[in-house]
Amino acid sequence: MQRPKSVIPPEMVEGLQGSLATTNIVDLLQFLNASGKTGELVLTQPAEGREARVYLVKGNLVHVVSASLAGMEALVAILGWTSGAFHFYESVLSPKNTMLLPTQQALMEAIRIQDERAKNGQLGHKATSERSSDMPQGSRTSTDVLEELLKVPGVTAAVVVGRDGFVIESAGGGAALSLDDLGAALANAINGIEEMGTELKVSKFQDLFVEYGRAVIMCRPIGDAIIAVTAPDASKLGIIRHKAKPLIDDLANFF
Amino acid sequence: MTVMRDQVVRQLVQVEAKANDNGLIPAFNVLVNQLPCTFWNTVAERMMAITPPDRKTAMETALVNCAYECGYHTGYGIITSPEFESAVMPMVTEGAKDVLRGAYAVFTAWGWAKSGIVQIKEGESMTIRAVDYYEADSGGEGRRAYMIRGVSAAFMELAYAAPYPNGMNTFKSDQVRGIEAGDQFGEFAVSKK
Repeated sequence: MQRPKSVIPPEMVEGLQGSLATTNIVDLLQFLNASGKTGELVLTQPAEGREARVYLVKGNLVHVVSASLAGMEALVAILGWTSGAFHFYESVLSPKNTMLLPTQQALMEAIRIQDERAKNGQLGHKATSERSSDMPQGSRTSTDVLEELLKVPGVTAAVVVGRDGFVIESAGGGAALSLDDLGAALANAINGIEEMGTELKVSKFQDLFVEYGRAVIMCRPIGDAIIAVTAPDASKLGIIRHKAKPLIDDLANFF
Repeated sequence: MTVMRDQVVRQLVQVEAKANDNGLIPAFNVLVNQLPCTFWNTVAERMMAITPPDRKTAMETALVNCAYECGYHTGYGIITSPEFESAVMPMVTEGAKDVLRGAYAVFTAWGWAKSGIVQIKEGESMTIRAVDYYEADSGGEGRRAYMIRGVSAAFMELAYAAPYPNGMNTFKSDQVRGIEAGDQFGEFAVSKK
């Protein structure tokens, strides 16, 4: 099936469409993935003269193309788009198959690559522009950042733990969560993981995801401490990771 | 591997805290007394209450210094004790930083303050947080966790200043937040004098 011709006025074209300013690409792809959609997602940034196309088959990402990039590289590139428009054309089939990973895994990998590049300065400007607040560091406390983290959809608790298991700060979780026990367990687990990394002579631990049924705990080093974010629904991990990233980067300045 | 607080606390709670004929508990190379927290809080509270307004800062400094002197000498006793040697030192892999982590674990295990290191710049500065401490229940005005404040400067000196007993007066400690002043936790900033 062919995509509707451009002679049809945009307002008359049916299907999922909207602005990238009100949603983000990870959200969108996770929605299409969860809905098992087949079709073509067209992303446009007229001001920049950019366009990208993402193809899905029964919710699975099969092909991404943007300018001269294709596959994972194209996916990484479009994750940084925070403006423009999207339109999903149902039942359009993909001309190619450039995505080798399952959708969730592909999104996670793309976010990981994006993180890496941001750390290396290649996308540094993006990390800043995506901050939920431009409040200067001086007036913003770690408590403020943790509270913002708790507002990320799907996050139920965020805990900052020292390498020795000292629970430095936390937000959410409720009374049922024993923070001291969680802190001790996390520190012991991270110690073990770092020892494993040392034995294997690989680089330092960067991320840890532990899935318990549908729930997931995401851990990441921040300065000399560790942040653990808990989410009861692992399917939202991609978007949580994406939205939490700038906040976690901010937190690293405090510990 | 680094010092694991839960393991230190678990081992230390097994240490028998039995007072001798003088009412002092010999442990960790030092003699510890067992008096109600309200006693210490009342001492500080009354000292501050009887001090004229223009001398309150000096009194505050004196109270912090009491804790600082005690923390320096008692802290040295603790970190060189056989108990510390067996409970903490096997986990020390990051030198002075780990010794400090161990010291705050002991501090917590003994009920002085549930506290730990937030950030440390080795030999330069340190931020400590305390989420539960007896001075939080004291009466008075402003931030008044004199004990943790003094002891934190002392611990930093034991870790990074000249070897004991020559390292005193190298670091200072300021309290930047306090549960007793309405904050969520107590926070202490230790820096070079």
